[in-house]
This record gives sequence, structure tokens and C-alpha cells, in this order.
Amino acid sequence: MAKKWAGRVRQWMAKKMDLPQDVMMDLPRITMIGQIHIYIENHRGLLTFTDKELRLLLKQGQLLIKGKAFVIKTILPEEILLEGKIDQVIYINENSGGTK
Amino acid sequence: MKNQWIEFLFGRVTVRVAGKGTERFINILIRNGLHIWDVKRHGTETITFKMRLQDALKMRKYARRSECDITFLQRSGAPFLLKRSLKNSGFIIGAAIFLFLILLLSNVVWGIEINGAKPATEHQIRKELDKMGVKVGKFQFFIDNVETIQKKLTNQIGALTWVGVELKGTTYHFQVVEKNQPKAPEVLSPRNLIAKKEATIVNYYVEKGKTVVDVHDHVKVGQLLVSGLIGKEGEEIPVAAKGEVWGETWYRSQVELPLKTKFYVFNGKEQQKHSILLGKWEIPIWGFWTPKFKEFETEENIHKIHFLKWDLPISMVNSTVREREEVVRTYGVQEAFKIAVELAKKNVIKNHLDEEASIKDEKILHKSIVDGKVKLEVLFIAVENIAKAQPIPKETQMNDGKAKNN
Repeated sequence: MAKKWAGRVRQWMAKKMDLPQDVMMDLPRITMIGQIHIYIENHRGLLTFTDKELRLLLKQGQLLIKGKAFVIKTILPEEILLEGKIDQVIYINENSGGTK
Repeated sequence: MKNQWIEFLFGRVTVRVAGKGTERFINILIRNGLHIWDVKRHGTETITFKMRLQDALKMRKYARRSECDITFLQRSGAPFLLKRSLKNSGFIIGAAIFLFLILLLSNVVWGIEINGAKPATEHQIRKELDKMGVKVGKFQFFIDNVETIQKKLTNQIGALTWVGVELKGTTYHFQVVEKNQPKAPEVLSPRNLIAKKEATIVNYYVEKGKTVVDVHDHVKVGQLLVSGLIGKEGEEIPVAAKGEVWGETWYRSQVELPLKTKFYVFNGKEQQKHSILLGKWEIPIWGFWTPKFKEFETEENIHKIHFLKWDLPISMVNSTVREREEVVRTYGVQEAFKIAVELAKKNVIKNHLDEEASIKDEKILHKSIVDGKVKLEVLFIAVENIAKAQPIPKETQMNDGKAKNN
């Protein structure tokens, strides 16, 4: 209950104080350069990595990136820079639980 | 992105991780602050990535807990390069010695070429150069620069009018002009001797030809002294007249000499400074202190350092700072007149007389002191050879020939 309340307060503050949402709410920030680069901040760890697929753990749910010839250029505790040919970026919500 | 160069400096390794749970292993590594990049997957259970050398040592701890096999594939960067070069240090030392030797040998005098000198003069020049230290096999740093060599040579060797000194690479080229050019073979075409100056004849000595004038005769410029046509009248044979005719000549000379003269002299105190010139930066090696001299002159001697045929932008500079003093020279009036007369004499000898002539008498025509200057007008009486050759025109010869035939 308290967590929920904290979440609400944060959302409200972000709205009222015009702060970036990712900072306030621990959301991933994804920057893409065409199809070749994708830069994700605020992830929570690597789940799968092959040259066609990258699965990242987020605070809420997962992020699935599909494409070809993936290479992780840099990986830091909360940031990752992926290179390759990116075809899809998919959010998987834990609650829906459908993608297994 | 991270700075590639720092990674290069500290060394990096390529690691292959095989087994289950490679992703988990990577998560563990990055959460513990190990830097990883260029992660690639090879097959289902293998990935490769690159990491820092320092981190590779720390990795062992985490690797033990995981179920992955770790292999190091490639090592690159400065530490490994250094290791390898230490192993092959012979090559590097060899290369350094080689470059150093070339640099050294490029600055050695390898040849001295002298052009335009007679063998005797050439020998003299070589001896003088030896004394100066300009020898084959010497370093150019320790040799005077080209201008100084030129100056010294011209001063030391009397037979030289001019020496062109040029340093081309490692060879010194000397272009010599001698004072006593080999005399052109005397032209023995028929000629007369005529007077080149107005004079009164005092003496003569004629080897060949018919003397036309006598002692105490006053001759004018161009007057015939010795005729080249000898023999009986009407049957003259043209010959080359030869001889000396000594005459008295007069020269008027005006001189001015200030009673007080200021000039600078070096008092012998000097200081040497050495430095290296890198482009425009001068780095002193020896002699950092600034000279304490009140008045001084600096002479700079710059040696360029060569590499093969190129000049490097590095030069050795050797500068000499000499102290100078101001000296005022004062003459008394009588002394000044005496010196002025000497000066006038020297002027006359230098400008008008040759080596054989002599001054017989001098007369002061006028003397005065104006504005601290002595003014003199002196008349000199000199005795000199006034004979000058003048070829006898062809026509006259032809006529004479005809006359002879007749």
C-alpha cells in the first residue's frame, strides 16, 4: 500500500514539477539510432543474449529486442549499448504473462 | 563511449566464456564494476567479450562460483606490447643504435673538395684547414661555421683573393680564386713603351728597343718612351720593346683626422653559452647565467644537425658573449699632423702606386684645424715605373716590311 502511495506521489510530482519521467519513476530510457544502435538506460540486468535476441530485465517487466548480428558494445550496471540490425523492440509485461 | 586509448595503455584481453548461464555471469561481473565491451555470441553456449587487464585478474573470484569455463583468447595493449618488446629488445636497441649512428655519421665531415687552386695553394689550404680542425672524419659540431672558415682562410693565406666555402651535406666545397693567377705568356708582338703618367724621367733601363727620351726629360701621358722599331732608318724591324723607365711623379692628397675618436675594443672577457635550438625553442645546456657585462657583443654559431641529406629542425647553438669597452683616443696637435701625413702617404700608395714605386719626398702644402679635426694637404713626390706597353699597329709593320723588301 505504501509503495503504491509513493508511486502516486512521484507521478504527481513529476507532472507538477515538470521533471523527466525516467528520473522520477525508474523507467528505461531507450535511444535508437536508426536500426543500427540501441542504447538502454535503467535496465536491471541481462536475461538472454544471442546474436538475434536480447532480453533485458526492467524494474517492471522485460524488454525484448529482436534483430540480427547483435554485439553488446558496452555494458554497465544500468546501461547497455547494443549494435546490430534491430528489427523489433518489444515490452513484455509480467502481469499479462502471455509471452512464454 | 569509453576512451580506447586508456584501455590500450592498461592492456585488454579477449575472454571466451563457455557454459550455461553466461548472461548471469555477465550480470555478476558488471554489477561488481568490471568493464566489459564487445560482447558477442558464438553458438549456443559460448560468448566472447573484451575487458581490462586489471579486471581480468579480479574476474577469477566470480568465475569460480559460476559454472562457466573461461579461456583467454587475445591479449593486446601496451603492457603486452612492452613485454613482447622486452623479449625482442635486441631489435629495438639495434634500431635505436642504427638511427643514432646515422644521425652521428650525417654530421661528420666526409669530404673536402678544393676547386680552382694550384697544387701548392691547395696544399696550403689543406694544412690551414687541418689546423682549424676541418678534417675528414671530424664532427661538424666542433667545427667553426662556414663564414668563420671563410674569414680565417682568407686572412691566413695570402695567396687567396676569395674562398667560397659551402657545406653540401657532409662535404665541404671550397671554390678558390687566387691572387696570382698564372701569368699569361708574354705577348711578344711588336710594341712600343709609352708613358702612363706625367713625369720627369730620372732613370731608365732598356733591354730591347730604341730609347727616345733621356734623363730629366719631362714627359706627358701617352708620350713615346721606347720605340719598338729598331735598325737603320728606312729598314726598321718591329720588335717588342722591353724595359723600365723610372720617372718622378707628383701626387696631391688631402686628409682629415679627428683629434678625438671614440671606438669600442674587446677587453678579453668572454662567456660561452651552449644550447639546443628546437624549431624556435632554445633550450640552454650550458651557461644559464645572463652576462654581467655593461656592453657586450654576442656572436652566435649555429650548427644544424643533419639526418642523411635532410636538415633536422634541431640545431646546436654556441654563442660567445664578449665584453666591450669604449675607448677615446686623443691626439696632440703635432702628433695628429704626423699621423695625418702617414695616413696621406698610405692613401697615395694604396690608390696610385704599385709595389715597386717609392716615395721620395713629401711637402705639406696646407694645414689647419677645423672643428676638432686636422686638415692637411700634402704633395708627394714618388719615383715609379711609368712605362706602359702599346702595340705597334699592323699597318706600320706592313709598311716597314715593304720598306725592308725594297
